[in-house]
Amino acid sequence: MSSDTVAVIGGGPGGLRAAQGIADIGHKVVLVEKQRYLGGSPITQKYYGLTPRGEPAQPQIQQQIDLVMANPLTEVRLGTEVVAVDGEAGAFTITLRTEAARDETFECGAIIIATGFSHFDPGRSTQMYGYFEFPDVITQPDLEAMLSEQRVLRPSNGEVPERICFIQCVGSRDRQIGNEYCSKVCCGVASKEATELREMLPDSKVLIFYIDMRMYGYWENEIYWPAQEKHHIQYVKGLITEVLPKGDRLLVRGEDTTMGRPMEVLMDLVVLSVGMEPSPGTRDLARLAGVRQNKYGFIDAPGTPLDPVSTDREGVFACGAALGPADIEDTVSSAAGAAMKAVGYLRSRAVAKAN
Amino acid sequence: MTVTSSPPRDTDAHYKVWDVAGYADVPRETKARLFEQVKGDLRFGDYLYGCYECGICVGACPSAKFYDFSPRRIAQAAAREDVDLIYQQMQEDIWDCSQCFSCVRCPRGNNPGGIVTIMREVAVRNGLASAKEALVGYTRIIYKIMSTGTQVSPDMLSKDSFPDWGPETADVADNLDLWRRALPPETMHTTTTGWSVAESTLIELYLIWMETGALDMIAEVDPGLHTILLELMEERLEEAGFEV
Repeated sequence: MSSDTVAVIGGGPGGLRAAQGIADIGHKVVLVEKQRYLGGSPITQKYYGLTPRGEPAQPQIQQQIDLVMANPLTEVRLGTEVVAVDGEAGAFTITLRTEAARDETFECGAIIIATGFSHFDPGRSTQMYGYFEFPDVITQPDLEAMLSEQRVLRPSNGEVPERICFIQCVGSRDRQIGNEYCSKVCCGVASKEATELREMLPDSKVLIFYIDMRMYGYWENEIYWPAQEKHHIQYVKGLITEVLPKGDRLLVRGEDTTMGRPMEVLMDLVVLSVGMEPSPGTRDLARLAGVRQNKYGFIDAPGTPLDPVSTDREGVFACGAALGPADIEDTVSSAAGAAMKAVGYLRSRAVAKAN
Repeated sequence: MTVTSSPPRDTDAHYKVWDVAGYADVPRETKARLFEQVKGDLRFGDYLYGCYECGICVGACPSAKFYDFSPRRIAQAAAREDVDLIYQQMQEDIWDCSQCFSCVRCPRGNNPGGIVTIMREVAVRNGLASAKEALVGYTRIIYKIMSTGTQVSPDMLSKDSFPDWGPETADVADNLDLWRRALPPETMHTTTTGWSVAESTLIELYLIWMETGALDMIAEVDPGLHTILLELMEERLEEAGFEV
């Protein structure tokens, strides 16, 4: 039997926006979230400020959660995983599993996969930059959590870091690692975090080592220029070759390419600007829903660029970072697009059936 | 961000190979102090925003075609507050700039040539060896301009006056009248008019040189010339009834 309910899998910024959109235009929506709370990566990873403008992440995301919770057409299932997708477009049966109860199913006409990304794990295969070896080598999300706690200290000795650097493109744009794509957000996030560091630790010196800064649109004048001009963050074009221990600090080696000379710099804290990979949930849902993934594991949108949210399977849509690297702005935009596509699909089916 | 005094050398942002430098190293405090003077200049904020390291200025720069000079490196070193490199540039690079300001086509609104102007002034004011060397051939010109208020006139082109102007100066000086007559416009009239300046104008100029500190700028770089000019100006000003 056909259903006019839409299932949204994943309760991050994209899933929240998709659920809002579907309910706003009068369709029932079931929002399924694996965690026991909504909000996705910004909440799980304890983001401090949202890129680009740096507003506090928690209250911003909470507003979106409140909008979803306030709508009577929305049913939210927390601590719940999708373990099977059966049926056909217009009449899917989704099997849910929780820790406590027995598996249960519900019917829906369309599915939006909003299962997002995982940060690249710099210790996974190559031990990049000694991430597991040196406590003072951390990742961007590690730093977000420190900033949120207003305690940015060197993990090795608890001291306030004086010299901090970011290494860009860790796990992105790398044929050897297999992630050939640009993760889009890390330049902006690094610049945002660097700015927050300079505000929190005014005596610190902050450097960003990069291949090329990708500060598209307003990120240019809203993040990059103030970071450089107002906060005196040093941008050095050159990818870091290796991080080595030296005394109780870290020696960062690379080339200062525009100055044309090798460099070795001592750092108190090294932040790896880790890129995006498809989350385990994205891989699982792609498999369960039977939609095609690209070579990196993100969900394929064959109709892009003009239809960037439809998968290769009828009635199944995706949004945000399940489709590939995306910032929050892109994520909620594609989520709203996916909501329209899903509802549009159900309504056009109903019209066709009535005729 | 302020430059902290004397951090250990191994925290420097960049490797330096000092043993190939053509000038003596100085304590880091000295370099930091010189950069503070550059940064403290009123114009500095309008001359430097942030640097893309894009090189548009280098492509426009005539000096970069002929010397190991890069307006990009000037802007970058200042933006990074790399006092070691800035000192190196004050001892070497800045004198290769032709001050044509082609570099102001910067998309960020930087003015690398302007930064060079400030660096030169700080180098002169502090009597850096490079400034002394760069200005040695200009002693006579400085003397001429500051004492008479006028430019160099063609008959001053004697080989003795400008040893650094190269071997052709001798030929030009020996046959100056011939060379000048070969030029279509009249050029020799300045030899007479160039020396005549009204008394009131000269007094005004002397006051400007002294009040603005322009005269004292050369105190470090050429103390002898400074003394001569100072005595000359003081005498003339006192005669005219000014208390110096």
